[in-house]
Amino acid sequence: MREYRAAWLIVLALCVVDAAHTASAQTQLGGFNVEGDVEAGGRFYIDRPPPKDRAKLEEYRDLTPGPVLFGLNLRLLRPDESLYAEFGGSKWGYSDQDYYLSVGRLGTWQFDFLWDQTPHVISTDARLLATQPERGVFVLPTPRPPLPAHNSAPFIDEIGVRWDKAAMRFNYSVTPNLDLSAEYTRTRKEGDKPMGMAFGSPGNNFYEVLQPIEQTIHDFRVRLAFSDPLYQLQFQYGLSVFENDLTRIRADNPCFGNVAPCSGSDATGPATGQSSLPPSNMAHSLSAAGGVNLPMRTRINGNFAWGLQLQNDAFLPQTINPVLAASTPDLALPRNSLNGNVQTWLIYLSATSRPFDPVTFGLRYRFYDFSDNSDTMTFPGEAVNDRSIDPARRALRFSYQKQNADLDARTRLLDSLALTTGVGWERWDRSDHREVPVSNEYFAKVALDATPTEWLLARVAYTPSFRRINEYNTFAHAEHSVLEDPGAALAGQSVLLRKFDESDRNRQKVEGQLQIGLGDFFTLTPTAAYYWDDYYNSALGLQEATGYTAGIDLTWRPHERVSVSSGYTYEQLFQKMGSRSRPVNGTVPLDAPDFDWISDIQDTVHTVYAGLKAALIPKVLDLRIDMNYSTSLGRVETRNPTAPVSGTAAQNNSAKAQRFPAFEDSLVHLEAALIYHFLKNWSAKAGYMFEMFDNNDWRTNTLNPFVPGVSSIWLGNNLRDYTAHMMGLSVSYHFK
Amino acid sequence: MGRLFLHRPRNTTESLGCETCHGPGQKHVEAGGGKGVGGLITFAKNDKTPVEQRNAMCTTCHSKGPHLFWKGSAHESRDVGCTGCHKVMEEVSPRAQLARATEIETCGTCHLQKRAQQMRSSHMPLREGKMTCTSCHNPHGTVTPSLLKEVSLNNTCYTCHAEKRGPFLWTHPPVSENCANCHDPHGSNHENMLKVAKPRLCQQCHIETRHPTNPYGRDTGSLKFVLGRSCVSCHANIHGSNHPGGFAFTR
Repeated sequence: MREYRAAWLIVLALCVVDAAHTASAQTQLGGFNVEGDVEAGGRFYIDRPPPKDRAKLEEYRDLTPGPVLFGLNLRLLRPDESLYAEFGGSKWGYSDQDYYLSVGRLGTWQFDFLWDQTPHVISTDARLLATQPERGVFVLPTPRPPLPAHNSAPFIDEIGVRWDKAAMRFNYSVTPNLDLSAEYTRTRKEGDKPMGMAFGSPGNNFYEVLQPIEQTIHDFRVRLAFSDPLYQLQFQYGLSVFENDLTRIRADNPCFGNVAPCSGSDATGPATGQSSLPPSNMAHSLSAAGGVNLPMRTRINGNFAWGLQLQNDAFLPQTINPVLAASTPDLALPRNSLNGNVQTWLIYLSATSRPFDPVTFGLRYRFYDFSDNSDTMTFPGEAVNDRSIDPARRALRFSYQKQNADLDARTRLLDSLALTTGVGWERWDRSDHREVPVSNEYFAKVALDATPTEWLLARVAYTPSFRRINEYNTFAHAEHSVLEDPGAALAGQSVLLRKFDESDRNRQKVEGQLQIGLGDFFTLTPTAAYYWDDYYNSALGLQEATGYTAGIDLTWRPHERVSVSSGYTYEQLFQKMGSRSRPVNGTVPLDAPDFDWISDIQDTVHTVYAGLKAALIPKVLDLRIDMNYSTSLGRVETRNPTAPVSGTAAQNNSAKAQRFPAFEDSLVHLEAALIYHFLKNWSAKAGYMFEMFDNNDWRTNTLNPFVPGVSSIWLGNNLRDYTAHMMGLSVSYHFK
Repeated sequence: MGRLFLHRPRNTTESLGCETCHGPGQKHVEAGGGKGVGGLITFAKNDKTPVEQRNAMCTTCHSKGPHLFWKGSAHESRDVGCTGCHKVMEEVSPRAQLARATEIETCGTCHLQKRAQQMRSSHMPLREGKMTCTSCHNPHGTVTPSLLKEVSLNNTCYTCHAEKRGPFLWTHPPVSENCANCHDPHGSNHENMLKVAKPRLCQQCHIETRHPTNPYGRDTGSLKFVLGRSCVSCHANIHGSNHPGGFAFTR
C-alpha cells in the first residue's frame, strides 16, 4: 500500500516538474524563471533483516523497499531573484516523509511551511498477552494464566511513536532595521512506549505493558527585532501548550490469584493497577533583549526573560481498588488538582570591551530563578499502589536559583599568540527541602590560541574549578515531606551519601586542538580533551569521574577531482561510585561498613568515519563513498572492600558484589554511489547501503516476558542484531 | 546575497555591491586585480585580514535575531571567523551557506567528540537528517551556557519533550534542575541516552535502606531490579508524577 502511494506521489511530482520544465523551456512562467531538481527511483534489499530484527535499523526512518522520491526541489524566481517560491520534499508516501514550501521577497518577507514525519521505533519483538479493549487498558483473562504462558504471548509488530511536525514561519522586514517574525509549530505524537505497572512495594511484582501516546505540542512564538548600527532590541513572546489526550493507564495484575513464582503477597494484591500519564500543561515566555555599542569598542548585551509554567489537570483517584478506597477516609483528596505554577526569571548581562589594543575584556553575569509556586499539598494517606496505604506525606515544591558570573581578559601577546585568562563563579541556592541549600563553584581559565604560521592554528585551554557547599542535610527531604512517620528518616538516605549534583567537587579540565590547514585542499584537526572530577567528600555516591577524548579529522583534496574526509575519535569515560547495602531488621537499618561495595564503571568508544568524492570521468561519472563505524564497550566492575559478614546469611549474600557482564555494541554504516551524468541535465545513480548492528546487553539479550523464578512480566523486547544490504537506483534531473 | 545587493539594494550600504563586504576596490582594480592585491578585505582561512575585521563586516548587517549575542560569545571570544563556518561565494550546502555540506560536518570539524557521539547506538535523529546541531544550539551566541537556544537546558529539551515539563504534583528535583544530570543528549551507548548503565545511574544518588542499595547481579533475586528497563520498570514516571499516590514515581 505504502509503495503504491509512494509511486503515485512520484508520478505526481514528475508531472509537476515536467510542467515546470516545459514552461521554463518555452518561456518564463508569468515572469518567473523556473529551476529545480528531482531524484526518483526505487530501492530494494539484497539482504533484508527479518521483521523482528528491524527495530534499530528503522528507528528513525522508513526503509521499506519500493519506489522512492529521494528528493524534489522546485524554485520559481524573478530574474533579479527578488521574488521567489520554493517547493519540495522527499520520501513522499513513507512514514519519514517531509515537505516544504517557501515563498518570499528576498530581504523583505518570507513564509515557510514545513511538514516532517519521524518514526521513533522502540521495539519489533515484544510480546504481550494482555489484550487492549480500549487505549491504555490491558486486560488478562480471569483466572490469570500461569506466568510461563506469557512467553507464548503474541508478538507486537512494532512499538514506537511517530512524530508529525508541521511548522509555519513568517518573517517580515518592516524596514531594513525592523524585523517581525511569527512561528507556529504543531507536533503530534502517536503510538506506544513500554511502561511498567507496579502492583506493590519492591517486594512485589510488576507487569510491563504499553504506554499509549496521543500527545500534541503547540508552540507559538512572535518576535520583533530592531537594529541600529549603535544598538539592537528584540522582544519575544512564546506560548507552548502540551495536550495529552489520555490521563491514565490500567493493567491487570498477572499474579492476581496466581500460583508460584507469584508469592502469596503478589497473588492477593490488586486485581488491576492504575498509573497516571503526563498531565497536559502550558508555558508562556516573554523576553526583552538588546545590545548597545559604546565608546572604546565596548558592547553591552542584556536579556530579561520571564516564564510561567502551568498545570492543573484533575488528579486521578488514589485507587481503583474499591475495598481499599472504602477502608479509610485518609484517601480523600485534599484538592482535585495541583494548581501548578512555576515562574522563571532570567537576567543576563554581558559586556565586552577592547579599550586598547591588544586587550579584550569580557564580563558576563547570568541569574536564573525557578520558583515553584504550586500549592503545597498534604495527603493524609496515599495509595502508593492499589494494595496498601502509606502514611501522611506532603508534596514539596522545589525552587532554586542559579547564578553565573565570569570575567576574562584576552591579550594578543604577539600577532600570532593570544592569551585568555579569566575567573568564574557559579552559585546554586536551593530550597531547604534539598540536601544542600547553597553551593558555590569557582573557576579559573587559561587559554592560548597560537597561529605561528599561516597554516597552523593551535588552541589549548585549562579550566580548573572547585565547588564548595555550605552544609549537607541528608534528611532534608524526609524532614519536610514525611509526616507522622519517625521511622522514615531512619530508613532514609545514608548519612555518608553525597549526591553528585550537589556535593563538593574539584574539577580539572584540559582541552587542546591543532588545526593544520594548507590552502583550501588540506585540513588536519587533531583534538584532545581530559577531565577529572574528584568528589573528595563523598564517602558514598559518585566519588570520581574522568574522561579522555582524542580525535583527528582530515579533509584532503589531493586532486581537483578527488576529495577525502575522514576522522577517528577515541573516548574513555570512567566513574567510581560507592554504596552500601542497607537491609532493615524490623524497622532498624543494618548500617555495616562491611556491607560497602564499590563500582568502577567504564565506557570506551571508538568512532571512525571516512568519505570519498571522486570524479572518475569528469562530468560523466562520479563516485561517492561514506562510511561510519562506532563500537563501544561498557564495563561495570563491582567489589566489596571487605567481605560482608555482619548480617544474616541472606543479607550477607545480598550485599555481596556480583559480576556484571560487559555491554557491547557496534554499528557499521556504509553508503556508496556511482553517478552517471548521461545527458546535460540528467544523471543516473546506483547506490548501495550496508549496515550492521551488533549488540550485547545481558539485561535484554535473552529476556523473555517470563523469567523463571521471577513474578514480574516484561515485554521481552531486545534490540536485535542485524545486517542489511540495500540497493537503490534513481534518475535525477536538474533544470535551470 | 551579492545579487540582491546588485539588483535590489535596500539601503546605501547594500548598494555598494561587492564593496559592501570587501571594502573599497578602486586600488584593487587599478593594480590589475588578483588575490590580496589592493588592500581588499578578504575572508579565506589563511588571509591576512584579521578575523575581528572580517567578522565586523558580517555583523554590520547580521546583528539581529540569532546574531544578537555574537559579541562576547564563546566563538567570537576565541577568534572564530564567520567564514570558518560559512562560505558566501560558493554553494557547498543546500541551506545556510555552510562551509561544509551539512551542519554536523561543519560543527564536527572542531567538535569531534560531539560528532562521534551521534554515531552511538542511542542517539537523537541527527544522522538520519531529522535534526541538526542548531535544533538546540545557536552557534552565534546565546544567554545560556553551551550556546543553547532557550533560556535553560531543560527548556531546550521541553521544546520537543513538553510532557516532562510539568509542574508535577511529585517532583524529582534533579530532573527539574537539569536533564543532563542523567542524560547525554549528544548520544550514548546506554539506552535513552543515559550517561551511565542502569541501575548504577540511580544508585549513585539512592542509598536509602532496602532495595536501592544492593549491588545486584545475575542471581534470581536481582533480576527484577536489573533486567529490561531496570529501576524504571516500577518507577515508570521517573520524570515526575501527577498521581496522588505517585511520590515514588511508580504511578
